[in-house]
Amino acid sequence: MRPLSGVMENKMAASGDSAGCRPNSTEANSKWLDAHYDPMANIHTFSACLALADLHGDGEYKLVVGDLGANGRHPRLKVLKGPSVLTESPLPTLPSAAAAFLMEPHEPRTPALALASGPCVYVYKNLRPYFKFSLPPLPPNPLEQDLWNQAKERSYWGAWQGFGCASRRSRGDSSWPWPSSGGDSRKEEKAFTSWGKQGLWSKQDRIDPLTLKEMLEGIREKAEVPLSVQSLRFLHLELGEMEAFVAQHKNQPIKRQTVITAMTILKKNLADEDAVSCLVLGTENRELLVLDPEAFTVLTKMSLPSVPVFLEVSGQFDVEFWLTAACRDGNIYILRRDSKRPRYCIELSSQPVGLVRIHKTLVVGSTQDMLHSFTHKGKKLWTVPMPAPILTMSLLEQRSRGLQAVMAGLANGEMRIYRDKALLNIIRTPDAVTSICFGRYGREDNTLIMTTRGGGLVIKILKRTAVFGEGAGEAGPPPAQALRLNVPRKTRLYVDQTLREREAGTAMHRAFQMDLYLLRLRAARAYVQALESSLNPVSATLREPLKLHAVVQGLGPTFRLTLHLQNTSAVRPAIGLLVSFLYNESLYALPRAFFKVPMLVPGLSYPMETFVECLSDKGISDIIKVLVLREGQSAPLLSAHINMPVSEGLVAA
Amino acid sequence: MGLLDKLSGLLGLKKKEVHVLCLGLDNSGKTTIINKLKPSNAQTQDIVPTIGFSIEKFKTSSLAFTVFDMSGQGRYRNLWEHYYKEGQAIIFVIDSSDRLRMVVAKEELDILLNHPDIKHRRIPILFFANKMDLRDAVTSVKVSQLLSLENIKDKPWHICASDAIKGEGLQEGVDWLQDQIQAVKT
Ligand SMILES: Nc1nc2c(ncn2[C@@H]2O[C@H](COP(=O)(O)OP(=O)(O)O)[C@@H](O)[C@H]2O)c(=O)[nH]1
Ligand SMILES: [Mg+2]
Repeated sequence: MRPLSGVMENKMAASGDSAGCRPNSTEANSKWLDAHYDPMANIHTFSACLALADLHGDGEYKLVVGDLGANGRHPRLKVLKGPSVLTESPLPTLPSAAAAFLMEPHEPRTPALALASGPCVYVYKNLRPYFKFSLPPLPPNPLEQDLWNQAKERSYWGAWQGFGCASRRSRGDSSWPWPSSGGDSRKEEKAFTSWGKQGLWSKQDRIDPLTLKEMLEGIREKAEVPLSVQSLRFLHLELGEMEAFVAQHKNQPIKRQTVITAMTILKKNLADEDAVSCLVLGTENRELLVLDPEAFTVLTKMSLPSVPVFLEVSGQFDVEFWLTAACRDGNIYILRRDSKRPRYCIELSSQPVGLVRIHKTLVVGSTQDMLHSFTHKGKKLWTVPMPAPILTMSLLEQRSRGLQAVMAGLANGEMRIYRDKALLNIIRTPDAVTSICFGRYGREDNTLIMTTRGGGLVIKILKRTAVFGEGAGEAGPPPAQALRLNVPRKTRLYVDQTLREREAGTAMHRAFQMDLYLLRLRAARAYVQALESSLNPVSATLREPLKLHAVVQGLGPTFRLTLHLQNTSAVRPAIGLLVSFLYNESLYALPRAFFKVPMLVPGLSYPMETFVECLSDKGISDIIKVLVLREGQSAPLLSAHINMPVSEGLVAA
Repeated sequence: MGLLDKLSGLLGLKKKEVHVLCLGLDNSGKTTIINKLKPSNAQTQDIVPTIGFSIEKFKTSSLAFTVFDMSGQGRYRNLWEHYYKEGQAIIFVIDSSDRLRMVVAKEELDILLNHPDIKHRRIPILFFANKMDLRDAVTSVKVSQLLSLENIKDKPWHICASDAIKGEGLQEGVDWLQDQIQAVKT
């Protein structure tokens, strides 16, 4: 708790939700305790590189961070205890994932830590280097190897000259305290001598660094087999550095290795919480590898159509398991124990930005700012739009209440928590969150750890009394969805009808379309006719927009007829209008069948009353036509037919 | 001889048992403190009524201690809150080296102070800012700040830094508690 945490609280309260009823995280009703906030923690990472584990077996859980370093320089492995860094050590390349896993079933059951970085997984026990696993090498491009072999000879004299500066850079692998994965270095040695024996280079064909660069670039352009890292690094060098580089690498046959893009853990043969687990690696080479927990041999290898970026697994390696890989081609592939190739494929219409598995459902965040949910067989369940791009995702599991939910960190500084489609909670953070992790930390079960874009660290603890309710959320299924529909039973008629529909679907559709067009045609004709004869109560001329509406009151024999005339133009008053009634004079008598209308101010409705006397006592009624005319024009502007009611007064008398 | 001899002796004259609740988060040092306070001849009964919730109890001639972890989720809460009614003094133990969980300790303290069986009683509260020997530990002043103890207006309270393993600081606290109970009794 630094005084800084107070600053955050103020900020958060100030940016409080305006929409009131939504589940938010303002001070008063927050479900979270603000345990720590350090905007200058200098942690730059993403969710895959965070792991929580009881690394010392003392019940105090630590946070493992594969830190990219500011601007991706100076990658480090950091272990945090409570709010502060316990240990940190530099990494040779950027980390891609971190995981804690149990290697063997014996006591003490303290988990090992695995950190994937470049082509290697560094395994630590008790925070001490224990093993370095390297991905098996790929066959190098023989042409490339040839070039390097020829370059070597010539650089012999330069080797000694440039050694001083080369040795600074050569720190690489040798200074690392890693027991390397045995056999392959010997193999490499052999490969090297065999090149020599075959005499593929001779002292005459020597290549100077510049030519080497040109030729390597040539190979890179053709790129049937990608260049080795060594060559790629060489191509980046300045002229002055080349000689030394060549000298330094003279004794190393080129190696081509792919890199690890994703890592997760899979239980070996028990479903227990603390069961021995295998590491599952995804590689740039479009493969998935499962490693033995103790020997770190490759137990199984599966290939994918694209490069995996997020992995989720369930089940146990020896029994049955599901592997889900969200890949760079925008697809999610699902593999099972017995399948060497994907069993199911989910096609997203955009790139995945996060993948979380809850029981048998998958939740994927996409670059279209959406959360999508699928079954483990690829059936789509739902989609929820997000208000901003999704930066990272992770699982929230509150064991004591059996809650599993998805957390999504958004670019607008919100961290949203969803159970299925229902929004449970929004946490507003002072800066956009780039990595999230929830679980037991220190001695507290429900701790939320977030790191921000600016390198800040936020730690919140879920209140012990907090319960996530769905009611507060705006999303969630509408109540109508819960109503049972009265679906008719499958009667004989229903079945016949369905069959007929299935067989004659096209014809039925055509018939329907035909009728629809006829209907539209008729309607259009009637409308045109009405317009031509101005038979409608709404004037269609643009110059004289008028609306007429009539009301008849009374029982008879005398009725009161009220006309409401309105000038619907925006500004222009209507002057010089006349109203005329046309009716059967043997049935009705009106005091004035024709009168002038006063000036109509736009927008107002003018009531005009007149009495109508019914002359017949036979209980018959007729229509009275109302025409609105303009002085000097014979065609009416608009007209209305008033259906007069039967005169009851007379009938009753 | 336990530290409580004087306290229990004094109270013993009144032939009345005083119930003391010893509370705090798990791992704060309650058991260690109580074991230091316990006279060697005290009878201990450990009871485990429910999974996930355990209470330690012991009695001297005039004092009854009930100790429990304020951990876990809501559903065990009503079990321990059941003991609030009979408590006549509270010892609240804080791990001063657990900076992250200081907010949790504060939250638990606030819930305790607002409980109907505690809220309106002038019940003395003794805070032990325990584990002061550890490097990460914050001072007792800082602890009382972090827990906003200055807001407790209607109950006598006192905070002592302590090292339960060596037994340092415990006597000071117990002396204070003794004065308070005596003040109430007379
Ligand atoms: N360094 C140190 N450790 C302590 C102190 N008090 C308790 N501990 C240790 O903290 C751990 C938890 O103590 P315990 O009494 O079981 O805590 P409880 O869960 O509150 O009963 C034990 O390992 C104790 O040895 C102290 O003052 N200083
Ligand atoms: Mg205990």
